Amino acid sequence: MRIGIFFFSLAVQGQSYYVYVAAESEDEVALIMFDGEQAVVEETIAVGTWPAEIEGPHGINVSPDGKYWYLTLAHGNPYGTLYKYSTETNEVVGSVKLGLFPASLQISPSSGLLYCVNFDLHGEMKPSTVSVVDPEEMIEIDRILTGVMPHGSRISPDGKYHYSVTMMSGELFEINTTTLSVARTLQLEGVEIDKGSNDLASMDGGEYRSSMSYAMSPNSYEMYHSPTKPTWVIPHPMGDKVYVAGNGADEILEIDLEAWAITGRMPTGKAPYNVDISPDGQYMVATYKGGQETGVWNLKKGKEMARVKNTRQIPHGVSISSDSKYAFVSVEGIGGEPGTVDVIALKTAMLVASVDVGKQAGGIIFWKMEE
Amino acid sequence: MRMKKLNLLLSIFLLMSGAVKAQDYSIKVSGQPIQMKIGESLQLEAVVVDADGNTVPDREFIFYSRKDREVTVERNTGLVTALKHGEHVITVISPSADGSRLRESIPISIAPTAISSVEIGGIPTNVYAGVTVPLDIKVMDEAGFERPEVGVELTSSNVAVAQPAPFYKLLTKTKGKTTVTAKVDDVMTQVELTVVENPIVRIDLTADMTEGRSGDVFTLTAIARDKNGNEVTDAPIVYSFTGESYDVSSAPSGLITQDGKFVADEPGLYVLNAVAGAAGASVTVSANHRNIAREIELTGRGSVNDKHTSDLWIWEGKDGRDYAVTGTWGADGKAYFWDVTNPASMVKIDSVQVDARTVNDVKISEDGTICVISREGASNRKNGLVIIDTSNPRDVKIISEFSDNLTGGVHNVFIYQDHVYALSAGRKYYSINIEDPTQPRIVGEFELNTPGHSIHDVWIHDGIAYSSNWEDGVQLVDVGNGIAGGSPSNPVQFASYAYPSGSNHAAFPYKDEKTGKFYVILGDEEFPYGLDPTGKKPSRAAGFLHVIDFTDLKNPKEVAWFKVPFAGSHNFWIEDDILYAAFYNAGLRVVDLSGELLGDLNRQGREIAWIVPEDPEGFVPNAPFTWGAQPHKGHIFYSDWNSGLWSAKLKPVMPEPTKVEAK
Repeated sequence: MRIGIFFFSLAVQGQSYYVYVAAESEDEVALIMFDGEQAVVEETIAVGTWPAEIEGPHGINVSPDGKYWYLTLAHGNPYGTLYKYSTETNEVVGSVKLGLFPASLQISPSSGLLYCVNFDLHGEMKPSTVSVVDPEEMIEIDRILTGVMPHGSRISPDGKYHYSVTMMSGELFEINTTTLSVARTLQLEGVEIDKGSNDLASMDGGEYRSSMSYAMSPNSYEMYHSPTKPTWVIPHPMGDKVYVAGNGADEILEIDLEAWAITGRMPTGKAPYNVDISPDGQYMVATYKGGQETGVWNLKKGKEMARVKNTRQIPHGVSISSDSKYAFVSVEGIGGEPGTVDVIALKTAMLVASVDVGKQAGGIIFWKMEE
Repeated sequence: MRMKKLNLLLSIFLLMSGAVKAQDYSIKVSGQPIQMKIGESLQLEAVVVDADGNTVPDREFIFYSRKDREVTVERNTGLVTALKHGEHVITVISPSADGSRLRESIPISIAPTAISSVEIGGIPTNVYAGVTVPLDIKVMDEAGFERPEVGVELTSSNVAVAQPAPFYKLLTKTKGKTTVTAKVDDVMTQVELTVVENPIVRIDLTADMTEGRSGDVFTLTAIARDKNGNEVTDAPIVYSFTGESYDVSSAPSGLITQDGKFVADEPGLYVLNAVAGAAGASVTVSANHRNIAREIELTGRGSVNDKHTSDLWIWEGKDGRDYAVTGTWGADGKAYFWDVTNPASMVKIDSVQVDARTVNDVKISEDGTICVISREGASNRKNGLVIIDTSNPRDVKIISEFSDNLTGGVHNVFIYQDHVYALSAGRKYYSINIEDPTQPRIVGEFELNTPGHSIHDVWIHDGIAYSSNWEDGVQLVDVGNGIAGGSPSNPVQFASYAYPSGSNHAAFPYKDEKTGKFYVILGDEEFPYGLDPTGKKPSRAAGFLHVIDFTDLKNPKEVAWFKVPFAGSHNFWIEDDILYAAFYNAGLRVVDLSGELLGDLNRQGREIAWIVPEDPEGFVPNAPFTWGAQPHKGHIFYSDWNSGLWSAKLKPVMPEPTKVEAK
């Protein structure tokens, strides 16, 4: 891994960078090409199957071998869907239904399985799940119960652990990608939550439910609203720490994996949302959703180098190129505005290019570099 | 330059070393081919071996079954349990962080158990000679699975009395005794059958009318009588028809049911038959042209061509003028308010903009003073709904926003007696009290508990909520009617109907006062043709309207349907026995629902009129995609996804012109 990074870090000028970005309120995915100076939309891919419904492309990622990209469509009847596309043709090659509002996803380089959080942001304070999918067969093979509104998730560099954070219950979950079970849980406020009797089996069954069950007293798990409101977790390339965006606390938490404890708090701009770390471990980039800014951090020094003003409101996702030179930031915009992809040069922490895409640009993933 | 070369070589080495590992290692699972019996468990012994066959230590495994309701496997141990016969596959993966991840597919054959029983059902108490008796054959195996794929040998000990026929039919020929045997392998069942002489010597057949129109239901009364004139109440009467079209270029067609109802699609002379054995009778009826087609004229339009338009609602304001509200879709969160008092000159008079991309649904309260709109695509992801004061439609004001438990987006809403019924998560609807519209509060909810349940729409009429629940069909829920003791805070489901396609998207109740029939029309929404990748070409929908007879609430029955070829249904409205249906790419369809409904309403000539809103200046040009329709004071208003608000009017029914024969 580290040798690979070294190789890419010596890449000569003239590189082209390719990024996929999903426009959640446009039902489109755009393939962006950035040549070091300009960013352009190479191709726009209409996604979904219902012309009169917004199906909400949300999470997006590329397979470790770069041959496929995977996309979650959040809305369904009622479940969302994971689609598999060929990067060669940008055409669908498979799909599978997942849970309620599937969001961020990634394939483990170890197990080869895809892990996708079912965000279920519909409002009820119920625990949701992480779906495990065999991406070769596009079969969902398991659902692992975690916390309320699991959102950001990423896999450790060795592929052995999946990390996700739950926005409402304020928990960091570590899932063993082989045993497909929760290995450790860290409540980020140190609160012990009564999780009541929530389980997968109670979610369906019987004929119908009306107000009688609505009147039942919710347990504290259902009532708890995390002040940290974690929205993203990213492991460090060295594999010893993870960093959590505390969207509600305006800070990024550093968690030492060996100690399984919070070992640092890094004040940020307003409402940090998504975070990425450069493959060389030097930079951390965080979108500040509430501030129309993206923070660029020197991670080795633990200092914020700059806050880069985004082109428009609501920066969302961030993905850093494999040569650790550029961060690609999706910016949602508001209402009828288009979304935008901002390109930030990490060395100078400067916005160097922007290109508009469909409305509510969200999920974003770096694909490849080409000379 | 030298460094670049060095790195290139190093990368090639790394890639090759990974490839070598992956090629040299393999998963071996002992005991293959694996054959199991239902109920058995088997431990799969998986190991990773190198090219020399040596076991690679410390490898872990992930097992999964592609059909875990038929064969299960413990995730990490590989303990397999056979649940159902068939050919199955277990996938085993051995993870590795160093590039030597392996996977293997293990076929497992689970043998079916022996057949345990063959049952013969469907035999009536009295089996008359000269009739066809359909048999109900059921084959079960020892594991308790029904085995419809197994062929059954059907024999009769006396074929002169009764003879088996294909598709498990039994032809009775003359009175006498026979033994009917159904056999699979060594398992058989026998039924002693006594065929009695057919007592029926004649059938008295009458129709409730001899002359009607296509689409009118002719109800037959067939009374089988014996030689003494007594009625044979269990006569196995079979109805059929033949016919002759009045149009030589058309074939006669229609539908006859086995409870004696006939409807003609094509105008013509029809012979309706009732047969029981050798006895039979016929009546001849004439189905004349329905002749209800009317001209429809475009009255006016309120163009919206810079964005998509969604739903509409028309109402009379407190000032006596007529108003409309329309939503927008995939845009900037606007809803438009219109003065439509003069449908030929509809004027946009106000608008609201909310934090959303889609205002999918718009509804107005009974008194016209409150509007509720749904939100999807809010920038803060707290979608919910917005309540608007429409006391003065020329100056509408947002009263409140409400997103409790509705943050994922509200697709459809309804207002009924100071309550908003709002969909949440595509799973349920909440009843929200808005007596104080500044302080909406949830007072109840309704949600099915069936596996994978979902919901698309809810419509309230006379205290009954009709929710459209896709695969679970329509659910009739008392939210204040009293039929089941329900209320907004205690919704009580009392009837339902689902159909196989699982496409139920909208519902509208309709009571025909003349026949006393109570129908609920259920609309599909289907897009089997997907998207135009460019977004510039017209989309094409599928699906149709299903007419469900709910007169007997406990036994609803699908009796009729309305289809438009190469198009699909969306929202619709019924008023004065007329259906106004938006059919996406086929525009607005106006359909005569008068009288009893049976069969294919479109083929029966029940379509009164249609009009397609084509607009070369539309958001997508010349791409009609009609969303909803509503009649109001003699006019029809309809919204179109690509072009906005339209109005049309049916021309009066004109007397048929006198035929003048040319000399």
